[in-house]
Amino acid sequence: MDRRGFLAASGLMLVGCSRLARHGTPIELYAPGLAAGHALRGHPALPVPSATLQVDTVIVGSGVAGLSAGWQLARAGFKDFLVLSGPELYGNAAAGEASGLVYPRGAHYLPLPSSESGHIRELLYDAGLLDGMRYDEAALIHAPQERLWIGGRWQEGLMPEHGVAPHERAEQARFLAHMHQLANTRGNDGRRVFALPIAAASSDPAWRALDRINFAQWLDREGYHAPSLRWYLDYCCQDDYGIALADTSAWAGLHYFASRNGQASNADEHAVLTWPDGLNPLARHMAQRVGADRLRAGHALRIDTGAHGAVVLAQLGKRTVEIRARRVICAMPLHVAAHVVTDLAALGYDATLHRQHHAPWLVANVLLDRFPTEAAGAPLSWDNVVYRGRSLGYVVSSHQLIRAARPERTVFTAYQTLPGMAAAASRQHMLAQDAETLFADIAADLDTVYDWRWARHASHVELTLRGHAMTSPTPGFLDNAGLAALRQLDGPLLFAHSDLSGFSVFEEAAWWGVQAAHKILG
Amino acid sequence: MDRILIVSVFVVASCGLAYELICGALASYLLGDSVLQFSSIIGAYLFAMGIGSHLSKYVRDEDVLPRFIDIELLVGLIGGLSATLLFLVYGWLAAPFRTVLYALVVVVGILVGMEIPLVMRVMNARKAEFNELVSRVLTFDYMGALAVSLLFPLVLAPKLGLARTGLLFGLMNAAVAVWTAWSFRAELPRLKASVRRAVVVLVLLVAGMGLSDKLNTWAEQGIFGDEIIHAQTTPYQRLVVTRWHDDTRLYINGNLQFSSRDEHRYHEALIHPAMQTLPWARHVLVLGGGDGLAVRELLKYRHLQSITLVDLDPAMTRLFSTAEALTALNQGSLKDKRVQVINDDAGRWIETAGRSFDAIFIDLPDPSNFGLGKLYSEPFYRRIAHQLAEHGLVVVQSTSPYFAPKSYWCIDATLREAGLTTWPYHAYVPSFGEWGFIIAGKAARFMPPTRYDVPMRFLDGPATALMFQFPPDMQRVVVEPNRLNTQSLVHYFEQDWGNVIR
Repeated sequence: MDRRGFLAASGLMLVGCSRLARHGTPIELYAPGLAAGHALRGHPALPVPSATLQVDTVIVGSGVAGLSAGWQLARAGFKDFLVLSGPELYGNAAAGEASGLVYPRGAHYLPLPSSESGHIRELLYDAGLLDGMRYDEAALIHAPQERLWIGGRWQEGLMPEHGVAPHERAEQARFLAHMHQLANTRGNDGRRVFALPIAAASSDPAWRALDRINFAQWLDREGYHAPSLRWYLDYCCQDDYGIALADTSAWAGLHYFASRNGQASNADEHAVLTWPDGLNPLARHMAQRVGADRLRAGHALRIDTGAHGAVVLAQLGKRTVEIRARRVICAMPLHVAAHVVTDLAALGYDATLHRQHHAPWLVANVLLDRFPTEAAGAPLSWDNVVYRGRSLGYVVSSHQLIRAARPERTVFTAYQTLPGMAAAASRQHMLAQDAETLFADIAADLDTVYDWRWARHASHVELTLRGHAMTSPTPGFLDNAGLAALRQLDGPLLFAHSDLSGFSVFEEAAWWGVQAAHKILG
Repeated sequence: MDRILIVSVFVVASCGLAYELICGALASYLLGDSVLQFSSIIGAYLFAMGIGSHLSKYVRDEDVLPRFIDIELLVGLIGGLSATLLFLVYGWLAAPFRTVLYALVVVVGILVGMEIPLVMRVMNARKAEFNELVSRVLTFDYMGALAVSLLFPLVLAPKLGLARTGLLFGLMNAAVAVWTAWSFRAELPRLKASVRRAVVVLVLLVAGMGLSDKLNTWAEQGIFGDEIIHAQTTPYQRLVVTRWHDDTRLYINGNLQFSSRDEHRYHEALIHPAMQTLPWARHVLVLGGGDGLAVRELLKYRHLQSITLVDLDPAMTRLFSTAEALTALNQGSLKDKRVQVINDDAGRWIETAGRSFDAIFIDLPDPSNFGLGKLYSEPFYRRIAHQLAEHGLVVVQSTSPYFAPKSYWCIDATLREAGLTTWPYHAYVPSFGEWGFIIAGKAARFMPPTRYDVPMRFLDGPATALMFQFPPDMQRVVVEPNRLNTQSLVHYFEQDWGNVIR
């Protein structure tokens, strides 16, 4: 099935289409999964299936977790399975295309795999991106990597330096040294305290106690008060978790800095892997291993489990089909699974009690007919952030192309979360705004760094609104009993999603996908 | 009384024409295409003079004399400094040069346009006969023009230079103002203010005269010494072709690309050590080299069936396919039927290149920015290796092993990182200094040729043997290969040349 077919069949919903009043630039607003997801609420009457399919295993969801499960099954030579795409093929690893340029609609980079992430190294090796310790250099982030707009000019790197007092710089250095030390710290069971995936992390209660306070409290306790450092850490929490410093579990906040210890023979340890279309090439690689004939466009309406297997009622385009399977891998977010899986509570997950915090995200892809004129300071980089800005900055999709000259056109991808608001309220807020207002807010940082005329060169804007983009690790997330129960399952129904870890990163999603596949393969 | 006014007319007319000639000469000197520059500047100047004549009617009768003095001072100041200002703008702020040029032309034109009508009104107020008045003023006006139009090209421009000629005429305008003020001191209500202004202008112009050598040297650091025969700004770069006697030079963004006096050394060294060892080669690729000079060397090999040249800038290949002075240099190589010219980014083109090549010549600009640095990277060289026949050779222009040793050996390390075997070599090109190349191949076999089958001006067996030897002051330095993650080469290149250029 080709991409267009998927778009037509899946629920990638075009919510609105309008034009920027100032320049007449068309704006499209997508809300993937919004219609299909909300239709499941309040026990709707379900259609009657018109056909029945029989298969050994069905994977419900084609995000990174679902595709990792399928990839692992296919690699093992296991053939009798199907992957149901869900409302959006590739989920948070989806990408778009305009005028021959590709861009991410969600996640856009993967850090070098940590020492515990054998499953990621296996995937990268399988995709021809890793050979020994050497990564495909075209995919390693190219210099110049990051810059920060501060005090009216661009500086290299995201940690504020320009015009920052020496005592603050000293505190920044102390923090980074502290994190370096924590990266090598092991608990009483000999495991790394902040391992990635967290399934491999130490269970030492002395360290896990950090999950009971928030990151801001930990920073206060350790004497990290420098405003520039606190801004940077808040930025990182929003970037990875979609929430502010004070809402993040201290354990999770430290995990962000202390877990990534990847090594490469041809890059430094802080390097990341990225492509013009974000993480989509990795998702596509797994989908290709799964095979087009096993990947179906459609989403589950209900999943029932019995003693001898499971039944998935699925909407495949206009058809409703009953898929009978020996086992089901439920690779969808848990707040959706709560509406789809019959009697989830019996499996140990109570949708009210074990409910997680979901952060909404807005991704704006701006197609530019020419590069805007740059101010003095560090040159245009892969990631460009405004100090204390409205958004999380913008990534240049053409940065990773190997070109002598800049291409004529490019896509800037700007990201935004609304950490100040309660999650539900921020979702309501984003849905209530028209596309132009949403864009004006996310593009405010571009207005700051470029002459206001930059938007004249924008020929198209695509907004992707992800109301439940990611699960956020708020204090106490490590001890969620419902998640523990779902992780343990080994019956007809298995779960695979980054929600099982409590935060949304590629490594965690892929980890649970691979674990589910191992259970199927025995 | 009349005499002073008549001399004023003569001087004023000379100065007016002088500024026009200075602007036109400067524009054709810096921008090329002298017919266009002169026509448009004369047009704009005359039009502005028309505006000035029109504006002169708003000067009240009782103010005519003091305004005339003010205008003389202003013309002297702006016109006098115009050439110096334009040199500085062009040398140091390339972008708004045209805007500044035409703004100056219009301002000076308007002021000059007001002069003659005001003089005529002054004389008219002194009861001169109208027919007498018109005839005398215009006679001296045209005589002044003739004097300058002969003096400027024959004496002033060659002896004084444009900047000082401008300042000289500025001083003459100011002198007219002072003389007029002195002669009519009885009629001037605010003589002191006029004198003060005149002193300021004179001091500025004299100071300009004193400093003009220094200012010019400073401005011309950013400018080329020779006559410009072509200048063009394309979306990618600024191309300037200069000529001095038999030396034609190409500059891209102000960097010398070749000098026709010694380019044969560079291009023979780039092409022939590899090509002489590939008598079986049929298909050759050149990346960069839009000047067609490398292709000219390649066309000496009859056994080549196709030469594909990929250069980013269509303006560059068009220029070197059509301009007579340049096709004479490359012997029309880009129009040869064996040659296919493709205008594309070499990075993009190589990703989709369908066929393989027996020899690949990479003649790209130096890695002076992150974009160009990407075309000196390991992934790029792997792509190149992928398109290279099993026993084929790649040759890379690799900056100077003498002036930029880190950059040179970094390129060597990067080629090796991409799995290629390398044979570094260097040649002396007088206009560049000691220049470096690297031959690379997948097979570990290459012997520098001991003789050449095609006619050569520079290379022979012994000269070639020397190229592959590195004397003690050009030994290999240990550096990191150029990784896209850090782009070390761009940093090395900055450091290397930072050490050379003061």
